[in-house]
Parts: sequence; structure tokens; C-alpha cells
Amino acid sequence: MSDKKDDVSRRDFFKTVGVGSIATAVVSGVTDAGAQGPAAIGPDEVPITLTINGQRHQLRIEPRVTLLDAMRTRLDITGPKRVCDRGACGACTVIIEPPNDAKNASSGPGGRTYYSCSMLALEAQGKNIRTVDGLAKGNTLHPVQQAFCDHDGLMCGFCTPGFVMSTVALLEKNPNPSPEQARRALDGNLCRCGTNIGVLKAALSAKGVTRG
Amino acid sequence: MGSTTQVPEVQAPAKPAQHPTYPWPEKSRLLGTRISRIDGPQKVTGRAKYSYDVSRPNMIYGRILRSPHAHARLKGIDASVAEKAPGVKALLITIKPGDKVLYPGEEIGALAATTEQQAEDALRMIKVEWEVLPPLANVEQSMRPEAPQVFTPANTRRGQVQQDGNLDAGFKNAAFTVEATYSTQVQTHTSLETHGCVCEWNGDNLTAWVSTQAVHGTREGFAQGLKIPQANVRVITEFMGGGFGSKFGPDIQGLLCARLAKAAGVPVKLMLDRKEEHLATGNRPSAFAKVKAGVSADGKLTAFDAQTWGTGGAGAGSDYPLPYIYVFPNRRRSHTDVYINSGQQRAMRAPGHPQGCFVTEVLMDELADQVRMDPMEFRLKNLPPLAPNAMWAKYFPMGAERINWKSRHVTGDPAPGPIKRGLGCSANRWGGAGTGARAHCEIGSDGSVVMRCGTQDIGTANRTIMAIVVAETLGLEVSQVTIELGDSNHPFAPGSGGSTTAAAVMPAMRVTAGKARDALFERIAPQLGVSPDQIQVGVGSISAGGKTLSWRDACRMLGTVPVSVDGQWERGLSAGGTSGVQFAEVEVDIETGITKVKKIVCVQDCGLIVDLKTAETQCYGGIISGVNYAVFEERILDRNTANMVNPNMEWYHMAGQSDIPDIDVVLVDQPERGVIGIGEPPAVATAAAIANAIRNATGVTLRHIPITPDKVLMERERAGGTN
Amino acid sequence: MKAFAYVNATTEKDALAALSKAERGRTLPMAGGMDLLGLAKDYIVTPETIVSIRNLDQTIAAVDGGLRVGAATKIVDLVEHAQARKMYPALIAAAEEVGTPQIRNVGTVGGNIMQRPRCWYFRNEEFHCLKKGGSRCFAVEGENQYHAIFGDGPCHIVHPSSLAVPVLAYGGRFRVAGPNGAREIDAGQFFQMPNQNLYGESVLQPEEIVTHIVLPAPGQRSATYEVRFKQSHDWPLAAASVNLIMSGPTVKSARVVMGAVAPIPWRAQAAERVLAGKAITEAIAAEAANAAVAGARPMSGNAYKIQIAKTAVKRAILAASRA
Repeated sequence: MSDKKDDVSRRDFFKTVGVGSIATAVVSGVTDAGAQGPAAIGPDEVPITLTINGQRHQLRIEPRVTLLDAMRTRLDITGPKRVCDRGACGACTVIIEPPNDAKNASSGPGGRTYYSCSMLALEAQGKNIRTVDGLAKGNTLHPVQQAFCDHDGLMCGFCTPGFVMSTVALLEKNPNPSPEQARRALDGNLCRCGTNIGVLKAALSAKGVTRG
Repeated sequence: MGSTTQVPEVQAPAKPAQHPTYPWPEKSRLLGTRISRIDGPQKVTGRAKYSYDVSRPNMIYGRILRSPHAHARLKGIDASVAEKAPGVKALLITIKPGDKVLYPGEEIGALAATTEQQAEDALRMIKVEWEVLPPLANVEQSMRPEAPQVFTPANTRRGQVQQDGNLDAGFKNAAFTVEATYSTQVQTHTSLETHGCVCEWNGDNLTAWVSTQAVHGTREGFAQGLKIPQANVRVITEFMGGGFGSKFGPDIQGLLCARLAKAAGVPVKLMLDRKEEHLATGNRPSAFAKVKAGVSADGKLTAFDAQTWGTGGAGAGSDYPLPYIYVFPNRRRSHTDVYINSGQQRAMRAPGHPQGCFVTEVLMDELADQVRMDPMEFRLKNLPPLAPNAMWAKYFPMGAERINWKSRHVTGDPAPGPIKRGLGCSANRWGGAGTGARAHCEIGSDGSVVMRCGTQDIGTANRTIMAIVVAETLGLEVSQVTIELGDSNHPFAPGSGGSTTAAAVMPAMRVTAGKARDALFERIAPQLGVSPDQIQVGVGSISAGGKTLSWRDACRMLGTVPVSVDGQWERGLSAGGTSGVQFAEVEVDIETGITKVKKIVCVQDCGLIVDLKTAETQCYGGIISGVNYAVFEERILDRNTANMVNPNMEWYHMAGQSDIPDIDVVLVDQPERGVIGIGEPPAVATAAAIANAIRNATGVTLRHIPITPDKVLMERERAGGTN
Repeated sequence: MKAFAYVNATTEKDALAALSKAERGRTLPMAGGMDLLGLAKDYIVTPETIVSIRNLDQTIAAVDGGLRVGAATKIVDLVEHAQARKMYPALIAAAEEVGTPQIRNVGTVGGNIMQRPRCWYFRNEEFHCLKKGGSRCFAVEGENQYHAIFGDGPCHIVHPSSLAVPVLAYGGRFRVAGPNGAREIDAGQFFQMPNQNLYGESVLQPEEIVTHIVLPAPGQRSATYEVRFKQSHDWPLAAASVNLIMSGPTVKSARVVMGAVAPIPWRAQAAERVLAGKAITEAIAAEAANAAVAGARPMSGNAYKIQIAKTAVKRAILAASRA
């Protein structure tokens, strides 16, 4: 490493980032609406409302807070896991439905899976967010959850909430997937223990999955 | 520097000693059947709370300050701005000017703040000045004669020469020899739950919720590291998101978390992020082997001579067993540990064995081709004698049947077109014995049964098989048994490494439940008007002198005082030493170099099978980790700075659902041997079987894993293949 | 990730107003957010303001025999669009292979085009590389197995967009809106090599956004072939899109574009010339594939990608001929 300046930029970051984050803190709140364009909110905390598993939550967060972190650190909804935090592993997978989807289950694109680590919490407002925590009805497991238990589609269990949600989204759209379709639908989730065999069996055997 | 816990393969007798106090039942009701994981419902609903999920009143968040350099000397550090940053409650600097760091990610300080965002912001306000020193980024750089001396006393450490037989005579008897160099890569554990904990002080007492494979070992580690009595520490790990050998103590992050919590006066959560996890929490060392081996004209191995080396990072070892399994009557081997500027290795799923297996098994296929023998027949000819812990000669034909080995063509698929198909095989062994677990059992007057043991379930289904043994012993259903584990306040149990947990804990379950049963009988016998030895357990009932009582009614006789007994591991209920074989079927696209693993067949034993369902899952898991090792995963360091270029889950390739082969597992029950661990054995042989299948498909030998497309294409080109 | 202010732009005008106000680089547009949030978490970008453009036009409309795709269209919606599937199989094939279901559900067509490179030296903060204002490309003497096999540097990224490859093959254009109005730019003129633009990958200015992808009528036959290491979530090692305008059984004219081999989607005109006027056979496809990689200049560790790119081109041509 002959040219020190080139190699590692940590010091440069201190110069820019350290000062920058303090300076920007001044530009908070609603500042410039009207002809100038839409208002900017933040970077300080702003009020948001999230509907998760049918329940409304009002909270204050900085715009930079992801949906995953808002759920886990502010609302104690810890089913979705933080593993890679970059949209590569799927442990944070949630299903998000467009507004009023429950009422018009036959219309619209229906619930889709999202990496909650790679979505800002404030962008998840106005929709119903479903996590693994809301699937079971009391002590009665959702058919997908039951299938994961029956086929041992879990070991340490840390990837399980994400795999369960991806499987639910798949089966709500396509109740009888081929193995190929099931594999592809689960390609956005990673398991390190190697439970994939049980997971696939669960996805192919879970029956009675309906929207909602 | 991180700790270097190397879990040794436990040596134990292959057969249990005779006459245990509570032998396994002749005929079992639950053992060996398919029972679903008892904590499955908690895990599939998100109700299972892992250390990462623990939230305590007033809890704040910790972050660690790390070196961005592989090798550097600290010139100065200024945390004065960070200390006053919004939300910061505690800050520690653990390095001083003049100190050196030896790997990227080495810990140099930590802070805690009210929110995670504030902690991260503040961390970036700490100004650090370094004198960057030349790093050693790989073994070649470290082994150069002109390499700068980075490590003390030297960059390499040469081990003793291991020698047996007469090497010269062995090579004299060889009709053919193979000389080649093999290598395996560094892989990181990549546990999905990262390392870390929540620490909470109550006066001088620390409670720590830690993602660990060893609650008792971690308690000891906290006490030592913080210089407080072990009695003041409680470690809790109710659920744990994978460790694979990398989580045996509090580590630096745990001690820093405890110190931050003490300084801040509130609980602190400190969980590492994915990049930190790759850099600083362990890895499997690389392995290199320059081998010369000889075989006689009739296919008997005659000689093995190897120089080996590898790196376990900054000052850590890299040895592995070699040659593996097969009988080389004359052999010599010397190993050199090579140190580089990267995070230290830790035990990882069957430490050493996948490396030794890969080198030996690929060599075996090359030798078999020299003598023009079928590779499986060649193996059968050179195996150690059949024994309970050495069953390969029986298992190879079983696996061959299931993979349709007779359809195998000789090396190089003659079929036209770019897709070449091939088959390969290999063998594995492991210890899997365990000792020392203790437990406490209570039976209440309502019939409830609570078993407490300071072991932990790291995803292996330990909790489930504990319940199975207790239920079997007491004549109950699994759902009637409450298992409490993952707490250092429970009776001692060893850490979960080396596949030792089942063999350590199941005997303790059998003995403790047996003692509880006897104590129950002792207590109720007078009321039943029989002697205790006339009472027997049924199914959900007990019977004595022709009368049958429900379990509940029997327990009601206890009154207020429950049965409360302690028990521990006893000899005779578990053993060590497993054997297994694996076969792989692959398809290789020789125009792209891409390998698709189609199928793995696994024949494996683990002594007495407690739960067939979860034992099979262990095999699936081990095999999938072997697929990753063979084809996908690799820690890649920039050769000029020694910084890891793929510290994520994107370029650190791991198989996704579409990359998973069909897997056919045959678990061989050996009830007479008692319980043996199964976590690691199935992870050993997969990579070698795949490499041999790729060789069989493509006609070229891939001696270096992971077998990425570039390697396949390069070897094909070198061999004059038609690309 | 550094704290930022957030603007939710629901119209093109709002988006442009929000983007025009700030200093260069301090305000960044964000669509699905997959890429930008990753960059922000890794401190590769540290915007003070993020302008969400995810609510801009997400419609797919027929225009002039082709389709006009709103840049905010989710990739999944493109994949599921019946007319798009019928008309542009090469685009759909590429779209189906983008990332994972979760990524396709949030990621937009415009975001896919405008995402930043995946080069691991660019993405890791420790490496102050050329693209980030440093003075060297670490890949040259470093780990370059996934880097470019075409181009003269000085930066050796491969362009990350899978959709840009078929868009160029179809002769698509990008509608770009900025403070001075809107313009359409041919996809062939849109992307820029590092020697033209080191800090970005296209002609798009910081205060501009891509609002639409405009696809002309396709040729009769088209296809994409992607070679991936992992079959699940992964980036292509090489990909090729082929669009053939046929005259009976003969190729009248062809577009052949390679992906993941150069800092921009890489048009292989030599291959196009081989195909013109010929009926497609295995031999012609192989000849075109050879021509496509003839000018490759591999780095120290990625010569193997030539073979892979060649295979992708050959198989894409053959797939198109059978389409």
C-alpha cells in the first residue's frame, strides 16, 4: 500500500460524515411547501402510522429508519429477523397488501413479499403489513406454519419467519405450485442450517391457504 | 485478538461399557420414531425470542469500533466529539497510540447510545489516525522468503513431522504414483443470528442474553473477562440462531457490551452486523496439500507423502487430519501454519475433516484411474477393517444402489452436447461422543414434569430429543414434558460443539428421568401398598400389583412436595465414532463451467437414533453446507490490502432454494451403541463426492474448491477440451 | 446510514422541483430503494435528502407499435403484463431473472436501469476507488473475476442492469425529464463508459430522472440468455439479448447486446454483421458468438468470462431463432 491516500477512506468519511450529520439536523420539519415543490420531512423524527397485522401503530421515527428496524426496535414485533440487512437473505420478509385489500380480495395485485430491511418505514404507511407474528389464530397455526412443523422445515429457526412468509405469499397466489415454481418463489430466502429440503416439502404440501 | 476455541474430536470407545443403571429400553415407544420439533410452533410463529429479539426496559444499543486496516499502527484517536454526540451514554476505547492491529475488523473500542442510529452516527465521529503497514493477504505472501515479519516469532509455524511405516519401501512397491496439489478455501460460519448479546446489571450481578453454543462456558468467560465471581453471572440462551462452532464464549463483543452496560447504568444490546460477522467471528481455515501417493498394480495403497499448509488468519492454526480414513501403510506428513492479516479461525462444523476428506478423496479417484479400477471398488480395497465406528465397507454398496452407481461411466462423460453428467463418492468419520451433562427433574402433584439442564438448542433439536428421552422413560407423551434449557442457572452441561451434545445430554436425561421415576415410586409405594420395585410405568399410567393408575392420579399422591432429583451423564448410554458415505450426481455445462448438483445420497449412522425426523434434517443440513463448500462459498480477500471484498450475503455465495439438490438420506440405526452426535458427520464428505462427480462428468480433476465456473473452464482448456 | 430528509414526489413536476433545489449529489432520487438504501447503509452515498419517485408513472401503454413503460413500473408488473410478455420476450426473460421475488416486487424498471454497479471495491467503504473520487481501480491488480472483459478502463465495473441489455437490443429509448424539459435518448447513447464519465454510468444529470422506457416495435424473434453461477439469487456472469428482424427464414437485421461484460450494455455489432442476411444455424450462431467476443480484453482473473459470454450469445441467438 504505497499510496496511503488511496487505500482506505475512513478519515475522509470522518471529515464529511461526522460534520454533515450534525449540519443537516438543522433542516428538519416541514420547511418549504408550495410552489417550490413538495415538502421535505425529517431528518429528525416524524410521526408515522403503520398498520401491522391489522393493528394500527403510531410512532415517531427518522425517515432513515427501515420498516424492519421500526418493527423490531420500536414496536417489539420481532418475528422478522435482521440477518444481512441488505435484501439478500430474506429473513425480514413481510407481505404488504395495498389499501383495502381485505375488502376487495379479488381485485388488485394482492399481497406481495418485501424485504422489510430495504424499505423505509414511512413508505410502508397506508397499507396492511403482514408479518409471521400475525399468521396464527391463537394457538391454531396457519396451514403453512403447520406444514413447516410437520416437515421439519426449520432448525435454528432464524430464517423461518421469512421462509414462512414467502411460502404464504406463493400459496395465496398459486395454491398448487410445481416444485420448480415453489423453488423460484423461495429463491429470495437463505437458510444456513440447510433446512431447504423440509421447507420445500412444506411448501408443496401445505393445503387450505386462502388470502387474508 | 479473538479467542481460538478448537473443539477437539472427542475420543471415546466405539461401544458403550456394560451395565448402565438406566439402560436404554429393549423395546422403545418413542425413540427412533418421527417426532416433530417441540419448539417448532414457537419458531414458525415468531414467538421464539432469540437474544437478538430481547428487549429490556431502558435498553440502549452498542456498536463496536473496528480497524478498517489489515495491519496498522495507531497514531492517534479522538473520541471527544463522539462522546458528546446525541444519545451517547457510554464510550470505551481499548487501543492506545503505538498499538498494532493485525486484521480488518479488529476491535478497538465501543460505544452505546439511545438508538441504533445514534450509536452508528457517533461511531463515525471518532477520529482515528493510522500508520498503515504492509499486510499479508494470503499464504503465498506470508511464505515468501522476503515477506515482512508481521507475526511473532515468525509468519509461519512448522509442526512436527508425522511418520509411519517405511516411505521409501512404500513408493518402491507402487506401480503408479500421483503427485498433485490440492486446496480448500476459507469459509466463514455465517450464522444467521449474528454474534452478540444483551447485558443487564443489577448491582454487581450480570444477566446476559447471549447468542451462544455454551451458556456455562460463556458464564465462565464473562466472569474471567470482567474479573467478577461466576456466581454473579447468569447467561440465558433460550433460542439461538446458529453457531456452527463460532459461538463458545462472550467474545470481545460480549465483554464490551457488559462494560458499556455497567458504564451506562442501563441494559445494552450489542449485536454485530453482517460485515463484522464475516470479518471477526471466526472461519474455517484454508488447507493446501502437496501430495505424492503410490498404489500397487493390484490396487493397494502403498505410500503417502504430504507437505501441507493453510491459514487460520492472524496467529491461529490450520491443521487437519490427513490422510483421511483409507489405509496408507507407509506415510509421512508435515504441516505448517501460515499466519495472515485476517480474522482468526474458530471451530467450524467438523473442524479439519472436510479439508482432509477433500484432499484424500479426490486423490483416491485419481489413484483409482491409474490402476483402472472402479473408484468405489478401489475404496473398498483400502478401507480399515469393519467395526461399529467404521462401517464404510457396508455403507458404500448401500449408497451405490441408491445413486445407481452401475450407470456410472468411466472418467469423462462420452455423451454429446455441453451437459456432462457424473457420479462420485466419498466417506466420512467423526467422534460425536460427549460426557459431563447434569440435570434436575421435578414431578409435581398435578403430573407435570420439568427437566432442567444448562445445555442449549442451537437448532439441532436438542430440546426435542431431550423431551423424547424423558417421555420415553416416564411413559408419557412428549407434550407432557417441559424442557428448560439455555440458562446457566440450570445444572451444568457442556458447550454444544463437536457433535457432543446428544451424547452428553441424552444419558443425563435418561438417568435423571429414571431417578425421578424411582423416587416417585418410592414415594407412592406405601400408599399403593406395594414395594417400589413392583411398580412399572405404562403409557400415561403406572401399574402395580394388578392395578393401573393414570399418571395424574399417581402423581396426586405426592401432595405438596414434588419429586425433585438430580442426575448426570453415566457411562454406557452413549458412545463415539460414526461413519458414513456420500454419493453425488452432478451435471456440468462445459460451455459455461457451471455445475448443478442434482442429487446426494447419504448413508450415515449415529448410534441409537432418538428422533428420526430431526436426525434426517441434520443430515440434510450437513449436506447442504457441503454443497456450499464444494461449489459456492469463499471468503475473498483483496490481495493487496487483505480487506474482505465479499463481507455480505450477496457475493459470499450460498445455495438458495433453486441450487439445492435432491437429497436421499439413509440413517442406519445402531441402538446397541447408545447415542452419538450427528451434527457434523454429514457435512464432511459432500464436497469431495461432488468434486469427484465433476471429475467423472468432465474428465478433468478439480483439485481446488470452491469449484467455480472459471476453474472448470480452465481445467478443460488445459486438458485440450472442446469449449 | 446517515440521516436524511425525505420528499415524497407524486408528480414529475414535484420530483424535478425537489431535485433541482439541492446541491449536486446531496439530493438523490429513489424509486424502489433496494439499491439506494444499500448504498446508503454502506456509506457509499450519504445524501442529505432523498426524493422518492416511486409514485410516478407506473403504466404500460401501447405507442407507435411499441410500448411505453413508466419508469416506476414494478419489475413484477412488467413480468406479469400480458402484452409486454407477448411483444418483448427478451425483456421479460431478463426481468424474470432480476434478483428475487422480493426484489422484483419493490424494484422498478427505471431503478433497475439506474442502479449503481455491484463492483465490490465500489461497494466496500474501505476501498476509496476511482468511482468514489480515489485515484485507482483496485480491481486491476486485485480480485477481478466478476469484472469487465471489454473497455479500456480506467474503471472496470460491469453494468449491473439486466433490463438495459434487452432494451438496447430492442432499440429502446429513455425519456428523461429535467429542469429544461423532457427529451428522449436512445439507449445506445444513454450509457457512458468510465473514460467519458467516471462518477456515473449514464448521461443522466443529477437533477434529471428517467420517466419512461420507450420500446419500438420488436423484431419477429428475440431472446435473452443469462449465465449465472447460482441459479437462485445471483448476478449474471454474462448475458446476451438478441433481437432479429426477419425476412422469411433469413435475418434481415439483428441486434446483439451483451450484459455483465462491460461498464455499459455492450453491443456486438460484429456479431450482428455475421447474422445479417443469413438463416440461423448452430454454426452461424457460433460464428456470431465468436465475433461478439473477438475484441475482449480480459483482466488478470476473468478471461473465463469470454467463454461464458460467447456461450450466452450463441444460446441467445439459437433461442431467438426458435422463439
